[in-house]
Amino acid sequence: MKTFVKTAMLGAALGVGAVLAAPAAYAQDSVYAPNLSYRTGPFAATGIPLMDGQRDYILMLNERDGGVNGVKIDYDECETGYSTEKGVECYEKTKSKAIVTQPWSTGITLQVLPKTNVDKIPILAPGYGFSPMANGKVFQWAYNPPASYWDGASMLLNYVSGGDMASLKGKKIALLHLDHPYGKEPIPLFQAMAEKHGFTFLPVPVGLKEMQNQSAQWLQIRREKPDFVFMWGWGAMNAGALTEAVKTKYPMDQFIGIWWSGHDGDMKTVGEKGKGYKSISWSVPVADAPVMADIKKHVVDAGKSLIGGADDMDTVFYQRGVLISMILVEGIRVAQDHFDTKVVNAEQLRWGLENLKIDDARIAELGMTGMVGPFSTSCSNHTGHSGAWILQWDGGKFAPISDKLTADAEAISALEQVKAMEYAEANAPWPVNEACK
Amino acid sequence: MLYRIAGQFKTNYRADHALFPVRQDAVLLAVILICALVVFPLTASEFTFQALLIPVLIYSLAALGLNILTGYAGQLSLGTGAFMGVGAYACYKLITIFPEMNLLVAIGLSGFFSAAVGMAFGLPSLRIKGFYLAIATLAAQFFLVWLFEKWAWLYNYNASGAIQVPTIDMFGIRVAGPTASSIVQYYFVLLVVGLMTFFAINITRGHIGRSWKAVRDMDIAAELVGINLLRSKLIAFGVSSYIVGVSGALFVFMWRGAAEPNLFDIPLSFRVLFIAIIGGLGSVMGNYLGAILIVALPVVLNIVPEALGLDINAATLEHLNIMIIGALIVTVLIVEPHGLARFWAIIREKLIIWPFPH
Repeated sequence: MKTFVKTAMLGAALGVGAVLAAPAAYAQDSVYAPNLSYRTGPFAATGIPLMDGQRDYILMLNERDGGVNGVKIDYDECETGYSTEKGVECYEKTKSKAIVTQPWSTGITLQVLPKTNVDKIPILAPGYGFSPMANGKVFQWAYNPPASYWDGASMLLNYVSGGDMASLKGKKIALLHLDHPYGKEPIPLFQAMAEKHGFTFLPVPVGLKEMQNQSAQWLQIRREKPDFVFMWGWGAMNAGALTEAVKTKYPMDQFIGIWWSGHDGDMKTVGEKGKGYKSISWSVPVADAPVMADIKKHVVDAGKSLIGGADDMDTVFYQRGVLISMILVEGIRVAQDHFDTKVVNAEQLRWGLENLKIDDARIAELGMTGMVGPFSTSCSNHTGHSGAWILQWDGGKFAPISDKLTADAEAISALEQVKAMEYAEANAPWPVNEACK
Repeated sequence: MLYRIAGQFKTNYRADHALFPVRQDAVLLAVILICALVVFPLTASEFTFQALLIPVLIYSLAALGLNILTGYAGQLSLGTGAFMGVGAYACYKLITIFPEMNLLVAIGLSGFFSAAVGMAFGLPSLRIKGFYLAIATLAAQFFLVWLFEKWAWLYNYNASGAIQVPTIDMFGIRVAGPTASSIVQYYFVLLVVGLMTFFAINITRGHIGRSWKAVRDMDIAAELVGINLLRSKLIAFGVSSYIVGVSGALFVFMWRGAAEPNLFDIPLSFRVLFIAIIGGLGSVMGNYLGAILIVALPVVLNIVPEALGLDINAATLEHLNIMIIGALIVTVLIVEPHGLARFWAIIREKLIIWPFPH
């Protein structure tokens, strides 16, 4: 008899699933902004501070201003564990009422990118995703402001060459990267630049299974003696690479990571020995920014935040999460003003994200002075190319040590054009917005 | 009462050997088929298609392939994920080299590539057995995933190293690519899975299936009664890898739309193996039951709290989900080590004698 009950329950559960197809009703005075979060799984340590920052900024707006222009933002998380399969499941689950997709992994981005043209929901992938998404003519529904991976790669080259790319001639640059769509993203740009400026480019892939044991890769680096090592690492790979770099005594000041490789949590495992490690970042943590004070007052002190303590608010990733939500909210605000409506839909938000104007005055108004560089998007430029700073680990925290760097826009946009067209051809018939200059 | 077999007399051998000697089984199958063919497609939403129906069918097919090798022929394999990958990459190459090829043909052909690779890795099975063979198939798993990563020709030198499904039309209907509708993809998958299941049921009932079972139960005895062990094992590897390869092609072309090499890594192999074990080794229906438990149940559990109006943090929900599924798997295996298929068989036996058990 026990077996009967069990099977019956199983059957009932499945029946419920089939019925649950219809989306639940939601209030009209709010907009639904889901986030495909990953607070579980192998990358949770890097995901949690980002998601917390995103969540807390929106909670703060809802508390302080009652949302944007009186419309509350219904922030919701759908857990993916950084798994592409779960990500697509979340996308399907949220798409009926969502105004935005925040895929949070290059793999999920690549997967949902072709579907957005059909479902008409904008993808917002700040600082990650597919670099050619910057080309708004081809990728009408995808946004990766304020800087793409190719911007990052180009700025890194500008930084190590001191602004004079000719000085790189004959040098050797290694790219230690995760062997995954994310890690492979900058390779086309590095290859193009290596050809143009005459340096040797050496990609050193790290498999997903080797993230914590990179002795083979570092042996190769020691043998090849590159002048610089750039890192496109994520999760456990960052700490693994830093530990190996310390062990092989690779000079820390020649070792620079992309913005996702500059996580305070990773550095704490290396501590003092990681002193001098640098990471490029389009966001800078500013502890005394007015926006952070507001978040502290309305969310953290009120006990509504999920972060461990107020100290965690000064980390690079938490503040970057805040900025990411800011970009989304600004998109909503621009769309509200333009369409003269309160509750924007996905199509209106698409217009909003395309017409962002985040200048210094706006950044100051938002209470974010110094946290991010000014940028604006347009119909043909979905990235904005804001620029970035080099942050250095001083043994306890990351601090900016450079002026704002800018990317080589000419070289990047040429490559973007080529790769975007390649993508459109491979996925033909792909709609291209010819109206856009 | 519902399952009364009294009065169903068999008057010839043909009727006695029918696929469904009991009428109620045939009726049940008809009900399931009507559900699958008419009721689900009419009622399902996009989400139900993409998160429940299509993946359950595809995972069932993969588990069916593995079950032929492990459940029927007794050769434990840990390389299923990689063999699925072979099918997927073969189908991708076929479609990109011959864009005018019919997708059904391409998927059918891609199974042969996977069968060839499977047989090559199955060759050592004559000499090594049991856990040692599992290690040999593990080698296939590592080698093939490495190959998918390093051999750039396989993914047409795409910068991200992933394969992306192009838009494909078949007889004027869009079947694959981002603009294909879910209902078309569902019917396509259902057709392929249905055909494969029919084929699998018949092959496991015939002399080949009998030789597999003999090899599984005691290979020395099987050899003594005249079964060619190598031939029998290689056929098992070939047929199993063929089905697994087809499921891999469906996995990428009909469901995922894009795939990176590490998708076909060990976690996928284990997932399929769990489906086969929990569903029931040596059964065809068990694969479907197992896939429902492993693939569909977590998705359903994820939407239950929301439907009930409970506000649970997404990460907590995920943790709860993992715990519930884990507990269910352990419970099923303790209560019925032979899997869900055996579970159903017991229920059926009881139903037949109900309400007057001896």
